[in-house]
Amino acid sequence: MTLLVRASDLVKRPVVTLAGEDVAQVKDVVFDGSSGEVSGFTLNGRGVFAGPLRVALPIAAVTAIGGDAVMITDEAVLVERGDVAHATDLAERDVLGDRVLTDTGVDLGTVVDVILQVGAATDVVGYEVKTAPALHHAGRRVLIPLPDTLSVSGEALIVPARAVEFVAQDLAGFGAAIEAFRTQLRGDGDAVQ
Amino acid sequence: MLFSDARNHPVMTTDTASTIGKLSALIVDPTIGQVLALRLRKTTGPGDTLHWEDLTAFGPDAVTIPTAAAVTSARDRAAELDDKAAELIGKRVLTDTGNDLGAVADIDFDPASGTIISLVTPGGPVYGDRLRGCGSYAVIVTDT
Repeated sequence: MTLLVRASDLVKRPVVTLAGEDVAQVKDVVFDGSSGEVSGFTLNGRGVFAGPLRVALPIAAVTAIGGDAVMITDEAVLVERGDVAHATDLAERDVLGDRVLTDTGVDLGTVVDVILQVGAATDVVGYEVKTAPALHHAGRRVLIPLPDTLSVSGEALIVPARAVEFVAQDLAGFGAAIEAFRTQLRGDGDAVQ
Repeated sequence: MLFSDARNHPVMTTDTASTIGKLSALIVDPTIGQVLALRLRKTTGPGDTLHWEDLTAFGPDAVTIPTAAAVTSARDRAAELDDKAAELIGKRVLTDTGNDLGAVADIDFDPASGTIISLVTPGGPVYGDRLRGCGSYAVIVTDT
Protein backbone atom coordinates (compact mmCIF):
# COMPACT_ATOMS: atom_id res chain seq x y z
CA MET A 1 0.00 0.00 0.00
CA THR A 2 1.35 3.43 -0.88
CA LEU A 3 0.24 6.73 0.48
CA LEU A 4 0.99 10.38 -0.28
CA VAL A 5 1.97 12.60 2.62
CA ARG A 6 3.35 16.08 3.10
CA ALA A 7 6.86 15.96 4.61
CA SER A 8 5.71 18.44 7.26
CA ASP A 9 3.04 15.95 8.37
CA LEU A 10 5.76 13.42 9.25
CA VAL A 11 7.20 15.74 11.89
CA LYS A 12 6.38 14.47 15.41
CA ARG A 13 5.26 11.08 14.04
CA PRO A 14 6.46 8.31 16.40
CA VAL A 15 9.23 5.93 15.34
CA VAL A 16 8.13 2.46 16.48
CA THR A 17 10.00 -0.86 16.46
CA LEU A 18 8.37 -4.12 15.36
CA ALA A 19 8.53 -5.09 19.05
CA GLY A 20 6.11 -2.25 19.77
CA GLU A 21 8.41 0.27 21.46
CA ASP A 22 8.32 3.96 20.50
CA VAL A 23 12.02 4.81 20.49
CA ALA A 24 11.85 8.34 19.04
CA GLN A 25 9.77 10.76 17.01
CA VAL A 26 10.56 12.54 13.76
CA LYS A 27 12.19 15.93 14.29
CA ASP A 28 12.85 16.78 10.67
CA VAL A 29 12.98 15.22 7.23
CA VAL A 30 16.49 15.37 5.74
CA PHE A 31 16.80 15.76 1.97
CA ASP A 32 19.88 14.87 0.00
CA GLY A 33 21.02 18.18 -1.47
CA SER A 34 22.22 16.71 -4.77
CA SER A 35 19.44 14.28 -5.69
CA GLY A 36 16.42 15.78 -3.99
CA GLU A 37 15.71 12.38 -2.41
CA VAL A 38 14.94 11.85 1.27
CA SER A 39 18.09 10.66 3.04
CA GLY A 40 16.51 10.15 6.43
CA PHE A 41 15.07 11.71 9.54
CA THR A 42 16.55 13.56 12.48
CA LEU A 43 14.93 12.53 15.74
CA ASN A 44 13.63 13.84 19.00
CA GLY A 45 13.12 11.72 22.07
CA ARG A 46 9.63 10.76 23.16
CA GLY A 47 7.99 12.46 26.10
CA VAL A 48 7.41 16.02 27.22
CA PHE A 49 10.96 16.84 28.28
CA ALA A 50 12.84 14.88 25.63
CA GLY A 51 15.13 16.88 23.34
CA PRO A 52 16.93 16.14 20.06
CA LEU A 53 18.67 12.75 19.89
CA ARG A 54 22.29 12.18 18.85
CA VAL A 55 21.14 9.40 16.58
CA ALA A 56 19.19 9.68 13.33
CA LEU A 57 17.21 7.34 11.10
CA PRO A 58 18.56 6.65 7.57
CA ILE A 59 15.79 6.12 5.02
CA ALA A 60 17.13 2.66 4.09
CA ALA A 61 16.44 1.45 7.63
CA VAL A 62 12.76 2.43 7.53
CA THR A 63 10.60 -0.66 7.01
CA ALA A 64 7.43 1.36 6.39
CA ILE A 65 5.89 4.79 6.84
CA GLY A 66 2.22 4.68 7.65
CA GLY A 67 -0.48 7.13 8.58
CA ASP A 68 0.33 6.88 12.28
CA ALA A 69 3.94 5.77 12.69
CA VAL A 70 7.34 5.30 11.08
CA MET A 71 8.28 1.63 11.49
CA ILE A 72 11.78 0.20 12.04
CA THR A 73 12.94 -3.31 12.94
CA ASP A 74 14.71 -2.30 16.15
CA GLU A 75 16.70 0.47 17.77
CA ALA A 76 19.98 -0.90 16.37
CA VAL A 77 19.22 0.58 12.92
CA LEU A 78 19.65 4.14 14.20
CA VAL A 79 22.97 5.73 13.21
CA GLU A 80 25.04 8.74 14.20
CA ARG A 81 23.27 11.94 13.24
CA GLY A 82 26.18 13.02 11.02
CA ASP A 83 25.81 9.91 8.85
CA VAL A 84 22.36 10.98 7.71
CA ALA A 85 22.84 14.76 7.58
CA HIS A 86 26.32 14.98 6.01
CA ALA A 87 27.96 18.20 7.12
CA THR A 88 29.58 18.64 3.71
CA ASP A 89 26.46 17.82 1.75
CA LEU A 90 24.47 21.00 2.35
CA ALA A 91 23.49 19.62 5.72
CA GLU A 92 19.74 19.48 6.25
CA ARG A 93 19.45 21.70 3.25
CA ASP A 94 16.04 23.16 3.24
CA VAL A 95 14.22 22.96 -0.08
CA LEU A 96 11.43 25.00 1.46
CA GLY A 97 11.43 28.51 0.02
CA ASP A 98 13.35 27.44 -3.10
CA ARG A 99 12.17 28.73 -6.45
CA VAL A 100 10.70 26.24 -8.94
CA LEU A 101 11.48 26.95 -12.61
CA THR A 102 10.42 24.99 -15.67
CA ASP A 103 13.07 23.92 -18.16
CA THR A 104 11.59 26.56 -20.46
CA GLY A 105 12.42 29.24 -17.89
CA VAL A 106 9.02 29.95 -16.39
CA ASP A 107 8.87 30.73 -12.68
CA LEU A 108 6.17 28.57 -11.08
CA GLY A 109 6.55 29.78 -7.49
CA THR A 110 8.25 28.76 -4.25
CA VAL A 111 8.28 25.41 -2.48
CA VAL A 112 6.17 25.37 0.70
CA ASP A 113 6.14 21.61 1.28
CA VAL A 114 7.45 18.35 -0.17
CA ILE A 115 5.11 15.51 -1.14
CA LEU A 116 6.39 12.01 -0.40
CA GLN A 117 5.03 8.72 -1.58
CA VAL A 118 5.48 6.37 1.35
CA GLY A 119 4.78 2.74 2.11
CA ALA A 120 7.39 0.08 1.50
CA ALA A 121 9.67 2.63 -0.26
CA THR A 122 9.92 6.39 0.08
CA ASP A 123 10.12 8.68 -2.92
CA VAL A 124 9.84 12.43 -3.41
CA VAL A 125 7.02 12.72 -5.95
CA GLY A 126 6.06 16.38 -5.86
CA TYR A 127 6.27 19.80 -4.35
CA GLU A 128 3.58 21.91 -2.87
CA VAL A 129 4.20 25.31 -4.40
CA LYS A 130 2.88 28.76 -3.66
CA THR A 131 2.25 29.86 -7.18
CA ALA A 132 3.85 32.70 -9.10
CA PRO A 133 1.78 34.78 -11.58
CA ALA A 134 2.63 32.36 -14.45
CA LEU A 135 0.03 29.88 -13.24
CA HIS A 136 -3.58 30.89 -13.45
CA HIS A 137 -4.11 30.46 -9.69
CA ALA A 138 -1.49 32.99 -8.60
CA GLY A 139 -0.78 33.04 -4.86
CA ARG A 140 -2.49 29.69 -4.26
CA ARG A 141 -0.96 26.45 -3.09
CA VAL A 142 -0.83 23.76 -5.75
CA LEU A 143 0.86 20.38 -6.07
CA ILE A 144 3.41 19.96 -8.86
CA PRO A 145 4.49 16.43 -9.84
CA LEU A 146 8.18 15.65 -10.22
CA PRO A 147 9.89 13.39 -12.72
CA ASP A 148 11.79 10.31 -11.45
CA THR A 149 15.00 12.30 -11.49
CA LEU A 150 15.39 15.99 -10.93
CA SER A 151 17.94 18.80 -11.15
CA VAL A 152 18.38 20.61 -7.88
CA SER A 153 20.82 23.28 -6.78
CA GLY A 154 20.96 25.64 -3.86
CA GLU A 155 19.15 28.25 -5.95
CA ALA A 156 16.34 26.58 -7.81
CA LEU A 157 14.63 23.38 -8.86
CA ILE A 158 14.12 22.75 -12.55
CA VAL A 159 11.06 20.73 -13.59
CA PRO A 160 9.89 19.82 -17.11
CA ALA A 161 7.51 22.44 -18.54
CA ARG A 162 4.89 19.74 -19.00
CA ALA A 163 4.56 19.37 -15.21
CA VAL A 164 2.27 22.41 -15.31
CA GLU A 165 -0.38 20.34 -17.13
CA PHE A 166 -0.47 17.86 -14.24
CA VAL A 167 -0.84 20.29 -11.37
CA ALA A 168 -3.31 19.12 -8.71
CA GLN A 169 -5.14 21.05 -6.03
CA ASP A 170 -5.11 18.36 -3.37
CA LEU A 171 -3.51 15.03 -2.47
CA ALA A 172 -6.61 13.04 -3.42
CA GLY A 173 -6.13 13.55 -7.16
CA PHE A 174 -2.36 13.90 -7.05
CA GLY A 175 -1.46 10.19 -7.14
CA ALA A 176 -3.06 9.75 -10.55
CA ALA A 177 -1.48 13.00 -11.81
CA ILE A 178 2.03 11.79 -10.88
CA GLU A 179 1.45 8.46 -12.59
CA ALA A 180 0.16 10.11 -15.78
CA PHE A 181 2.99 12.67 -15.80
CA ARG A 182 5.76 10.10 -15.32
CA THR A 183 4.26 7.72 -17.85
CA GLN A 184 4.20 10.49 -20.43
CA LEU A 185 7.84 11.47 -19.69
CA ARG A 186 8.97 7.86 -20.06
CA GLY A 187 6.96 7.57 -23.29
CA ASP A 188 8.89 10.53 -24.69
CA GLY A 189 12.19 8.86 -23.79
CA ASP A 190 11.25 5.72 -25.71
CA ALA A 191 10.21 7.74 -28.76
CA VAL A 192 13.63 9.42 -28.96
CA GLN A 193 15.38 6.06 -28.98
CA MET B 1 -13.76 -17.45 24.87
CA LEU B 2 -13.50 -13.72 25.49
CA PHE B 3 -11.12 -12.61 28.21
CA SER B 4 -13.84 -10.27 29.54
CA ASP B 5 -16.03 -13.36 30.18
CA ALA B 6 -13.19 -15.35 31.77
CA ARG B 7 -11.90 -12.62 34.08
CA ASN B 8 -12.63 -13.39 37.73
CA HIS B 9 -13.10 -17.08 36.93
CA PRO B 10 -12.34 -18.98 40.15
CA VAL B 11 -9.28 -21.24 40.04
CA MET B 12 -10.13 -24.49 41.82
CA THR B 13 -8.09 -27.51 42.83
CA THR B 14 -9.53 -30.88 41.84
CA ASP B 15 -7.94 -32.69 44.81
CA THR B 16 -9.45 -30.55 47.58
CA ALA B 17 -12.17 -28.68 45.61
CA SER B 18 -11.10 -25.35 47.07
CA THR B 19 -10.77 -21.97 45.39
CA ILE B 20 -7.21 -20.75 45.50
CA GLY B 21 -7.51 -17.55 43.47
CA LYS B 22 -9.25 -15.66 40.71
CA LEU B 23 -8.12 -15.00 37.15
CA SER B 24 -6.92 -11.41 36.75
CA ALA B 25 -4.92 -11.38 33.52
CA LEU B 26 -3.60 -13.46 30.63
CA ILE B 27 0.14 -13.53 30.05
CA VAL B 28 0.39 -13.73 26.28
CA ASP B 29 3.45 -14.28 24.12
CA PRO B 30 2.67 -11.82 21.31
CA THR B 31 5.28 -13.28 18.97
CA ILE B 32 3.52 -16.68 18.78
CA GLY B 33 -0.07 -15.64 19.66
CA GLN B 34 -0.31 -17.98 22.62
CA VAL B 35 -1.44 -17.63 26.24
CA LEU B 36 1.56 -18.82 28.28
CA ALA B 37 0.14 -18.36 31.76
CA LEU B 38 -2.66 -16.89 33.83
CA ARG B 39 -2.03 -14.25 36.46
CA LEU B 40 -4.20 -14.71 39.53
CA ARG B 41 -5.29 -12.43 42.33
CA LYS B 42 -6.51 -13.20 45.84
CA THR B 43 -4.32 -16.27 45.88
CA THR B 44 -4.07 -18.25 49.09
CA GLY B 45 -0.43 -19.24 48.59
CA PRO B 46 2.74 -17.27 47.82
CA GLY B 47 2.63 -17.65 44.00
CA ASP B 48 0.33 -15.74 41.63
CA THR B 49 1.01 -17.39 38.27
CA LEU B 50 -0.55 -20.47 36.73
CA HIS B 51 1.35 -21.70 33.67
CA TRP B 52 -0.80 -23.05 30.85
CA GLU B 53 0.85 -26.48 30.91
CA ASP B 54 0.00 -26.85 34.63
CA LEU B 55 -3.75 -26.39 34.38
CA THR B 56 -6.21 -29.27 34.12
CA ALA B 57 -8.95 -27.44 32.21
CA PHE B 58 -10.15 -23.99 31.30
CA GLY B 59 -13.88 -24.46 31.69
CA PRO B 60 -16.81 -22.14 31.01
CA ASP B 61 -17.20 -21.39 34.74
CA ALA B 62 -13.90 -22.17 36.39
CA VAL B 63 -10.27 -22.99 35.78
CA THR B 64 -9.26 -26.29 37.35
CA ILE B 65 -5.81 -27.35 38.53
CA PRO B 66 -4.67 -30.65 40.05
CA THR B 67 -3.27 -29.27 43.31
CA ALA B 68 -2.55 -25.89 44.89
CA ALA B 69 1.14 -26.45 44.04
CA ALA B 70 0.41 -25.67 40.38
CA VAL B 71 0.27 -21.97 41.26
CA THR B 72 3.85 -20.70 41.35
CA SER B 73 5.77 -17.58 40.56
CA ALA B 74 6.28 -16.78 36.86
CA ARG B 75 9.15 -18.62 35.22
CA ASP B 76 11.01 -18.63 31.89
CA ARG B 77 9.30 -16.78 29.04
CA ALA B 78 6.22 -15.99 31.17
CA ALA B 79 8.45 -14.20 33.68
CA GLU B 80 9.95 -12.07 30.90
CA LEU B 81 6.50 -11.15 29.61
CA ASP B 82 4.88 -10.57 32.98
CA ASP B 83 5.01 -6.78 33.02
CA LYS B 84 3.10 -3.76 31.82
CA ALA B 85 4.84 -3.65 28.42
CA ALA B 86 3.39 -7.04 27.48
CA GLU B 87 -0.20 -6.19 28.50
CA LEU B 88 -2.43 -6.30 25.42
CA ILE B 89 -5.76 -4.97 26.72
CA GLY B 90 -6.15 -1.22 26.17
CA LYS B 91 -3.01 -0.95 24.03
CA ARG B 92 -3.09 0.54 20.51
CA VAL B 93 -2.80 -1.87 17.61
CA LEU B 94 -0.35 -0.74 14.94
CA THR B 95 0.25 -2.51 11.63
CA ASP B 96 3.84 -3.16 10.60
CA THR B 97 3.17 -0.60 7.85
CA GLY B 98 2.53 2.10 10.46
CA ASN B 99 -1.25 2.41 10.61
CA ASP B 100 -3.24 2.61 13.85
CA LEU B 101 -6.18 0.16 14.11
CA GLY B 102 -7.44 1.36 17.51
CA ALA B 103 -7.06 -0.07 21.00
CA VAL B 104 -7.45 -3.70 22.08
CA ALA B 105 -10.86 -3.93 23.78
CA ASP B 106 -10.84 -7.67 24.44
CA ILE B 107 -9.00 -10.89 23.61
CA ASP B 108 -10.71 -13.92 22.08
CA PHE B 109 -8.80 -17.12 22.85
CA ASP B 110 -9.29 -20.86 22.54
CA PRO B 111 -9.77 -22.23 26.08
CA ALA B 112 -8.62 -25.68 24.99
CA SER B 113 -5.22 -24.69 23.59
CA GLY B 114 -4.57 -21.14 24.78
CA THR B 115 -4.19 -19.95 21.19
CA ILE B 116 -5.16 -16.33 20.57
CA ILE B 117 -8.02 -16.35 18.05
CA SER B 118 -8.31 -12.59 17.70
CA LEU B 119 -7.85 -9.20 19.29
CA VAL B 120 -11.14 -7.33 19.51
CA THR B 121 -10.69 -3.75 18.23
CA PRO B 122 -13.15 -0.98 17.28
CA GLY B 123 -12.55 -1.81 13.60
CA GLY B 124 -13.31 -5.53 14.04
CA PRO B 125 -11.31 -8.62 14.92
CA VAL B 126 -7.57 -8.74 14.25
CA TYR B 127 -6.73 -12.43 13.92
CA GLY B 128 -4.10 -13.94 16.16
CA ASP B 129 -1.88 -15.14 13.34
CA ARG B 130 -1.17 -11.48 12.52
CA LEU B 131 0.51 -10.82 15.90
CA ARG B 132 4.17 -9.82 15.67
CA GLY B 133 5.08 -8.23 18.97
CA CYS B 134 3.96 -6.07 21.84
CA GLY B 135 5.86 -3.28 23.54
CA SER B 136 5.15 -0.36 25.80
CA TYR B 137 3.77 1.70 22.89
CA ALA B 138 1.79 -0.70 20.72
CA VAL B 139 0.82 -4.21 19.70
CA ILE B 140 2.35 -4.77 16.26
CA VAL B 141 0.41 -6.85 13.73
CA THR B 142 1.12 -7.64 10.09
CA ASP B 143 -0.77 -5.65 7.47
CA THR B 144 -3.39 -7.50 5.43
